[in-house]
Amino acid sequence: MKRHLLSAAAVVGLVMGAADPVCAQSIDYGSLEQLFNEPVTTSATGSPQRVTETPADMTIITQEDIRRSGAKDLPTILSRVPGVDVLNWSAGHTDVSVRGYDQIYSPRLLVLIDGRQVYLDDYGYTAWGNLPVTLAEIRQIEVVRGPNSALFGFNAVGGVINIITRNPRYDDTNSLEMHGGTQSDRGGSAVGTLHFGDRASMRVSVGADRQKEWENDLNAFASWNAHSMADLAVQLSPKTELRLQGSLAGSRSEDMVPSSNYVPARYKTSSIMATLTSETPYGELQARTYLNSLDDRDASPIGLFHFKNQVAVASLQDLFKIGTRNTARLAVEYRNNRENTTPEAGGHVSYDLVGASAMWSFAASNRLSLTLAGRLDHLMLKRSGTIPPGFLYASNALWDRTTDTFSANAGIVYEVSDRDTLRATYGRGIQSPTLDEYGGLQLVLSPGPYGPRLGGNPFLRPSVISNYQLSYDRVFESLDAKASLKAFVQHTDDVKGLWDFAHPLVGSSPPYSFEAVFANASRSTMGGFELSASGKVQGGFHWSADTTYTHIKDTPLSGENLIGRQVAFGRTSPRFRGNVAAGWADRRWAVDGFVHYVSAYGAYNAAGALERSPAYATLAARAGYTLSPGLTLAVSGQNLGHGRQVQGLESGLKAERRVLVSLSKTW
Amino acid sequence: MMLRAYLKAVATAVCASAFALLSPASASADPVKDIQATARVLTFLENDLGARVVIGVVFDPARSESVAEKNAIIAAIGDGYSVGRLTVVGKPMEAGAIHGVKVIFVTHGVDFAAVGAETRAKRIIVVGSDFACVRSGACAIGIATDPTVQIVVNRNALAAAGAALKAAFRMMIHEI
Repeated sequence: MKRHLLSAAAVVGLVMGAADPVCAQSIDYGSLEQLFNEPVTTSATGSPQRVTETPADMTIITQEDIRRSGAKDLPTILSRVPGVDVLNWSAGHTDVSVRGYDQIYSPRLLVLIDGRQVYLDDYGYTAWGNLPVTLAEIRQIEVVRGPNSALFGFNAVGGVINIITRNPRYDDTNSLEMHGGTQSDRGGSAVGTLHFGDRASMRVSVGADRQKEWENDLNAFASWNAHSMADLAVQLSPKTELRLQGSLAGSRSEDMVPSSNYVPARYKTSSIMATLTSETPYGELQARTYLNSLDDRDASPIGLFHFKNQVAVASLQDLFKIGTRNTARLAVEYRNNRENTTPEAGGHVSYDLVGASAMWSFAASNRLSLTLAGRLDHLMLKRSGTIPPGFLYASNALWDRTTDTFSANAGIVYEVSDRDTLRATYGRGIQSPTLDEYGGLQLVLSPGPYGPRLGGNPFLRPSVISNYQLSYDRVFESLDAKASLKAFVQHTDDVKGLWDFAHPLVGSSPPYSFEAVFANASRSTMGGFELSASGKVQGGFHWSADTTYTHIKDTPLSGENLIGRQVAFGRTSPRFRGNVAAGWADRRWAVDGFVHYVSAYGAYNAAGALERSPAYATLAARAGYTLSPGLTLAVSGQNLGHGRQVQGLESGLKAERRVLVSLSKTW
Repeated sequence: MMLRAYLKAVATAVCASAFALLSPASASADPVKDIQATARVLTFLENDLGARVVIGVVFDPARSESVAEKNAIIAAIGDGYSVGRLTVVGKPMEAGAIHGVKVIFVTHGVDFAAVGAETRAKRIIVVGSDFACVRSGACAIGIATDPTVQIVVNRNALAAAGAALKAAFRMMIHEI
């Protein structure tokens, strides 16, 4: 055992490269993970922490978990995380949420790659097939459950998913992968790391995938995606590092849009980000700026929706320790978010946002810590350009509005013993209206002065989410296992609802056109618990199991209808969901199986009625064989128990059984 | 009915967990893991110790536990234990005869107060797995790896040894 440990550690040390004792400012996740024997994260407070010590409810998916999952897309990997809900609408469109509230184009989840938002800010959702990241270049995926707006800002309300890629300075990641299988599924990826002397390293990746659409009568043939990313890390001085990242992605999918129709959607996204980190006498300073561009074309039967959205962000943070017990983080952020109106063109909706945040973490003892964080955001909304005739919000001046919001996070972590940890957390998150909701979406349903319109609402209020959670974690040394029990309550005020033609705005003077707009429609309370456990058994076996129960109660605001506004989350969210997984590995073989269960839930059909989707269980598995060092042949399957299964809308497309063969080489 | 069965299953699992909680857990030190962690911690120092570091393994020949721990550590290191570009080599030495090294590891049973007094002027980084040594200031770094990795640093003692830890690493450990 000792020799195995030393050998393994030595190999890891060689593969991972040096943690140079003189330099290095960005976090060397690999070395820290090797030291503490657990993953390390910055996603809870902004400062590096062991995942077991974070004042947040967090699960970390490691690269080993990703490799053995047999999955080729992120939603499938995420569906096996405790408390995560997925709605699979088509082969290329999935929506993800945490602990209920999932919906078409789910807006409650903040998704990031290395701290850069990748959810699409026009409607606040994530096009998972369009993310410019290859599974092989991911170091870990950090899943935070509950609001974390004080650190991340808007939309971090249901949870945060931060995808951390390998840092080319520390991680020599090289891989080639190709796969093919049923449904004409084929694709591949390549990742390479280059070093330019001792001071600069770059990782480059490309990937592409194509698969036939699930059986349909929509003339939808295939979904595909292609992406590339470049990540350059340069050590400017012993204490200063510059990291530059750029990405391009294109994809096509058959999307389920909020009206519950399938629409072919083409996405093109690009980004560029620069992060400068420097250790100074005033702490670790980090300056970051990035620009995201989105070009989204949805060819619906009622017109071509062409969204063009740009988000520019600049932030500055200082992370420092005061004495031996206090860690603090101060940050400011500026954001500009801009979108054209569509399909009725001629206008632009935008906002400028200035935010300031602070975090303080106090280690009262080596067993008790307290963390407080707060953030103030000042948003300035604006509209320019023309407003087509017949729209009832007929003046750009109506968009000259400001909104001030406050978000907060607090957590107490108490290590009762070396094996028992209690955690109490509170989060207050803000879900801002999106640019589509503010007025980017501008549709004339039938021409003429009396024809109905669909438009934005400059008076929409942000939703405020308050979350309270208690959790208990226990390590069972003798069993080489751990277990966790959590109880939580979450309350949402001013839930944003979809347009409702049964409750339109009506013009007060001729022509008496009427217009459906987005509106704040309800308040909602969710309560529940989660139980999870995992462990290892001698001989190379591992296992895990979890179950999460949620109960949601929605109350409509005066004059509103839960079904009409599609905010009846108590009826659309499953009450319980769970996972069981087991696996075995030796030097050559790795075999894993996964069962995911979801209780019955609801979804809206194209007529606006609520359909009941049945409970379901899915079976997935992977078997991999190492042909030679770094060369692996694997067979994996998803939805193995059923040829076709409802995992979204009962009357929609059905998820199909899928088998893939993949060959990968890493070095 | 299904909900009732589900809740019953969950309650059973919770009760099983509570029963396990009542079982006393045993704790034991693991000198092999401790020295491996020590080597990793050295890579997070601001100081450049060089590519090859000799760690003096301090023991008391009159105490069997100290001798056993020393033997286990020296055997674990062997000809050298590498972490990235750093290789550590172990050299046994008795308290009172500490010399020629920048880092020492104090085994259990050694009079750490005496070791602290001996090493202070020599600016040697003293590491041990007994946190009482850290609290007293004789040890600069305390490392225990069983059941979980715990690292406690005495900032004054570390500074007196002319050493400092990287900022990001300091946020992950306990300092006194």
